[in-house]
Amino acid sequence: MPEYNGMVQPVRATPQELSKIFVEAVPDEQKPEKAVEYLDSIRKKFRSFVMAMESCVKCGQCAENCHTYLGTRDPNNIPANRTELIRKIYRRYFTLEGRWFGKLVGAEDISLDVLEQWYSYFYQCSQCRRCAHVCPFGIDTCEVTFIGRQILHWLGIAPKLHATTAGGMYKTGNHMTLPKPGIIDTLEFLAEEVVDIYGAEIEFPVDKPDSDILYIPSSADFSLNEYTLMGAGLFFNYIGANWTIPSTVTEAGNFGFLFDQYHTQRSNVNKLLDAAHELGIKKIVWGECGHGWRAAKMYIPSLADRPVRWPITHIHDEIADLIRKGELKIDPAKNYQPVTLHDPCNYVRACGLNDNMRTIINAVTSDFREMTPNGADNFCCGGGSGILFDDPEMYQRRIQLSQKKADQVRATGIGKDGNGILCAPCSICKAQLYPMVEEHELGVEVKGLVDLVGKALVWK
Amino acid sequence: MSLIIGQILPYITITLFTLGVLYRLGRWVGPRIVHNITLSPWMKTNTAVTIRVAEEAFLFRNLFRFDKVLWLGAILMHFSLLNVLGGHVVGFGTLGKQFAFIPGLGITEDLSEQMSNLLGSVFGLLLLLTLLFLLYRRLTLPKVKLVSSISDNLWLVFLILLVGVGDLMRFFEFAATNVDYKAVQDYLVALALFKPVTDMPLLSNYFFLTHFLLVQILLIVFPFSKLMHIFGMFAERWIINRVYKDPAPGLPNVDVAAARLAGIGVPSGDAAEEGV
Repeated sequence: MPEYNGMVQPVRATPQELSKIFVEAVPDEQKPEKAVEYLDSIRKKFRSFVMAMESCVKCGQCAENCHTYLGTRDPNNIPANRTELIRKIYRRYFTLEGRWFGKLVGAEDISLDVLEQWYSYFYQCSQCRRCAHVCPFGIDTCEVTFIGRQILHWLGIAPKLHATTAGGMYKTGNHMTLPKPGIIDTLEFLAEEVVDIYGAEIEFPVDKPDSDILYIPSSADFSLNEYTLMGAGLFFNYIGANWTIPSTVTEAGNFGFLFDQYHTQRSNVNKLLDAAHELGIKKIVWGECGHGWRAAKMYIPSLADRPVRWPITHIHDEIADLIRKGELKIDPAKNYQPVTLHDPCNYVRACGLNDNMRTIINAVTSDFREMTPNGADNFCCGGGSGILFDDPEMYQRRIQLSQKKADQVRATGIGKDGNGILCAPCSICKAQLYPMVEEHELGVEVKGLVDLVGKALVWK
Repeated sequence: MSLIIGQILPYITITLFTLGVLYRLGRWVGPRIVHNITLSPWMKTNTAVTIRVAEEAFLFRNLFRFDKVLWLGAILMHFSLLNVLGGHVVGFGTLGKQFAFIPGLGITEDLSEQMSNLLGSVFGLLLLLTLLFLLYRRLTLPKVKLVSSISDNLWLVFLILLVGVGDLMRFFEFAATNVDYKAVQDYLVALALFKPVTDMPLLSNYFFLTHFLLVQILLIVFPFSKLMHIFGMFAERWIINRVYKDPAPGLPNVDVAAARLAGIGVPSGDAAEEGV
């Protein structure tokens, strides 16, 4: 299954898994016709999509600026060609020139093969927006692959990973399907760990009524990135905050953003706002999660079905603010290892976190080295938009997609002595890079930024 | 033939061009900007946004940052094109005397005409060369070859023909018979006033007719082609380059100094000292 006419494809969700995200697959023979129908309805709504369809002049600048193309050298992974997979259909059905001149202007009839192409290539796009950043017009391929994935979702074609992850959110309020007792157990365990490791006695309040701050961690922090969650706990206790984690939304991510920006993403937003209302909080603070932070910061205002009463900031915003005010006592020598920062794409190209991350990392580490390029010019880790597929073919592809990142990290020289730290403050980056630093033998350990903050705090 | 190309088609061309552009722009304004997809780092004022968009539109900032060779080719091509178009307007409009109208410079009408000719020659040639370069790039550079469709190459060939015929009339006597500023001005004025111009020698010059026909084909196809990127540029930038202001940081009811004084988190024993 994971290959179709020589194209790699992620393993698909079963009908049962699709049903859990409220999707019933369209029968194959109706898929092409329905795809055009869905595309028609969506192109009348999203100008960002229409402009991406209609303004590309094919200058080719995006090619060498896309980590996916650099890693795979597959022509369809050039952003201009990736969007062409949908543009050829758009032209054929919705433009005069496409209807009249067909092939001459690159128009093509819809078919199941085209949908299979979409499935393969739209799930190799990390939606990192680097092409939008370098495009002379600012054409955002992300807007095209979002919509391609949306149409596939409506047709009943979705990766198992995305469907089950989104399904977990409906079931438990997080992507890892952790039930509330599991969450509380984990947090108690982490509190004990903190005493052992950091010598601080801290609490992780869950569902505490009348809290001031609602902290939304990434659910991966409960199992894979514990140090990030401990770091956040250390920070909130250190500043004496009245904070809590809501058991109904223990998830900073929002997979709806990645393949269903209608129902799934909106339900997740409403679940969060319900939790905020019930706990009577004053401010929402977001944990380390790239796509999730973009979905929260930029999309909640347009997806909430109500006025949003709570300001929403990222934990990096708050830490950087306190560092600038000089209110935190920090010992950067505690993070003495050479460290470089991988800028999560969503942070630097969609959420403006560039400066705050640097304020923090410069304050909490003693040997920080920038990689090149960095900031808004940075390359994606290769896992962006949740394409963390584990099936063998796709896993091989992930290694290729992370090639550029590996080259960048190697060039900083932080891994030379085998004790480097690759700071990647985003759950998807972390999940991609944990295995990839091994595959590329980089000699570095992957950590979040809050991890380093937690370690550097001086308690007395 | 000259009747059709010279006196009937122009009216059809202008109509189709105008309606076509309106249709295409209409297709763009119908859909909305649904979500905020501004690219960060944020610009904080509308002035900053205007400057950025102007840099992109007129200086090709991103091309400069990421592909210097393409930048040079593209900006020279577009700059020549702008001058060639402007030259057509003021050249035929003032019969080449445009520079004499600039007060305070003391340029005579004769000098102005010479300057006009010189500039026209330079930019006409530069435009042709840069178009040839862009075509060469499309046909040879692997990454560009991979993204080019037939129509991308055809457009360049078409423009090279159009500009080529124009340059023939500028540089070669045999092609320029009956073509001069005055003749073209008279013709265009007659067209604009809906007057028949059957006895004009200009319309017996096949180079002029070819040039004029190609221009009209260009204008008719323009609204349905990628040449609309001149408007697309601004429409796209309007979506992704906007002012954005972050919500203020600062946590409610947090007093770090008091918390540290109270020793929150520090065990009653002395364990903190040992902690790493």
